[in-house]
Amino acid sequence: MIRYLSRRVLLAAPTLLGIVILVFLLLHLAPGSPVTAGGESSRRVSQRAAEEMRRTYGLDRPLPERFGKWLGRVARLDFGESFVDHRPVLERVREAFPYTLELNGLALLLTLGIAIPLGVAAGGRPEGPLDRASGAMLFALYSLPSFWAALLLQALFSIRLRWLPLYGVVSDSAPPGWSGLADRLAHLALPVACLTYGSLAFYARLVRASVAEARQADFVLAARARGLSRRQALWKHAFRNALLPLITVLGLVLPGLLSGSVIIERIFAWPGLGRLYFDSILSRDYPVVLALSLLGAIATLFFTFLADVAYALADPRVRDGTIE
Amino acid sequence: MTPGVIATRAGGLWRTLPGSGRAALVVVAFLWLVSAISPLASRAASEIRLEDRLQPPSAAHPFGTDDLGRDLLARVVAATPLSLAIGLTAAVVSLVVGFVVGSVAGYFGGAADLVLSRLVEVVLCFPVLFLLLALAAFLPPSPATVILAIGLTTWPGDARFARAEVLKARDLDYTRAARAAGASTPRILLRHLLPNVLAPLLVSAAFGVAWAILAEAALSFLGVGLPAPAGSWGGILSAAPAYIEEAWWMALFPGLALFLTVSAYNLLAEGLRRASTEKTFA
Repeated sequence: MIRYLSRRVLLAAPTLLGIVILVFLLLHLAPGSPVTAGGESSRRVSQRAAEEMRRTYGLDRPLPERFGKWLGRVARLDFGESFVDHRPVLERVREAFPYTLELNGLALLLTLGIAIPLGVAAGGRPEGPLDRASGAMLFALYSLPSFWAALLLQALFSIRLRWLPLYGVVSDSAPPGWSGLADRLAHLALPVACLTYGSLAFYARLVRASVAEARQADFVLAARARGLSRRQALWKHAFRNALLPLITVLGLVLPGLLSGSVIIERIFAWPGLGRLYFDSILSRDYPVVLALSLLGAIATLFFTFLADVAYALADPRVRDGTIE
Repeated sequence: MTPGVIATRAGGLWRTLPGSGRAALVVVAFLWLVSAISPLASRAASEIRLEDRLQPPSAAHPFGTDDLGRDLLARVVAATPLSLAIGLTAAVVSLVVGFVVGSVAGYFGGAADLVLSRLVEVVLCFPVLFLLLALAAFLPPSPATVILAIGLTTWPGDARFARAEVLKARDLDYTRAARAAGASTPRILLRHLLPNVLAPLLVSAAFGVAWAILAEAALSFLGVGLPAPAGSWGGILSAAPAYIEEAWWMALFPGLALFLTVSAYNLLAEGLRRASTEKTFA
């Protein structure tokens, strides 16, 4: 276990370095020098912001020295000030984070809550009626562009039927207490639905494939032979085996969630990280763009590491070091 | 490959595709046909008639009209070649970069593999749309930028795929024979390994086209894709949110074209995947 984990850490270190270098390069990809930020479309950077940028990124210094200094700042989570409102970047990120967490946390729970039972049921009887029907439906949902679905849902539920609010987090007139909660949930319904349906197919198919494969395996047949019901054999034996690939892909869930958030948060005016990122791209707020890219990638790396730990805990063979 | 060989392979492919894959192939062919005749619609697509603005679907305008009175059916038809071509080229860019990185990593192994696999991991750690938006917004707006941005953000998936396939094939007899006969490494990779890993790569590419079409639409929808006058489906859709209360058709029809195209390519890819795992074609 220790050997396995230390190997994982050793492999993650160069990846972390690569992430930092890529973000640093992204800064220099920006049109012209990031200080002059030329071009018709770009916002003019004020003198003060330009000074700030020079100071933060030390643009008058040679590249390696610049990189070293920037690394030092980033390590202390100092991402400088936003060009837009001159507040610390980290403060803006911290404000937006809970909104994205709420939206995506709910969407992920809902996704797994539907995908796992559906995948186990479909994989338990491959090519059965449920498997065929759910397969076709999931395939259609998988090809459905989320921004289009969002517009249609808005047109139907918010405009035609007037059941749900068009966008936003909460109504201005929302009462406190329980009815206030209902108002918040009503605002969450459409964005959460849009974030859920697309990833549903991915997870359901994954669970289905592992369960369909495991149901023919000796250990599941043996469980059936010992007199376990079909249901018990599927959930306690076949599905537990299907957990391993699920853990691996869940380690990489973060980039997809953040990507989806950019579009959905924009359509539903949700003040989360995706919206912050998109607005910062449009206003050329480089410090925010770089901070979010870096934090997103590092968080992903951390999650894949957690997934590796979970994998080792779930699979005794990895724990004992019999397999890598 | 001679035309005869291609025809035989195409016939073999058709026979091994499942029914859904054949239907998808027909839809894809139809879409390319629409692209071919789309110049006929370009005049109507750009004709601004403010007196006809925001008309609901009717016999004269089957898809309705947009906020400037342009016929939406004509606009959707006129946008077809753009959306298809950008999706296809971006997928090819992604596949080429992915094959080069993945096959070098898989073929040489060792230090090259370690370094290139880290590189793939680094790119995969970033949310695709974060990178895509940064590239599309920071580089000068043009179709080439959109294609490059999509290709340069999606290659890691193809690279992983190519690496795994090359890793399987590099110690097989035909590769060893080529090596023993003195073939150079690029020759072995391109003339011997590439044709043999092409079938699985083709599956990856077909999924890639679907993804690239979606990515371009998302970028144009967000307003950082193609520059304004060249309207792809995503570009047409980007005007829809402002009129969502009075003109649902502005959202429905361009999106329907997008959905049809993306699902056709996905279904085709799925069919190719099944056909290639059954080892009956290529």
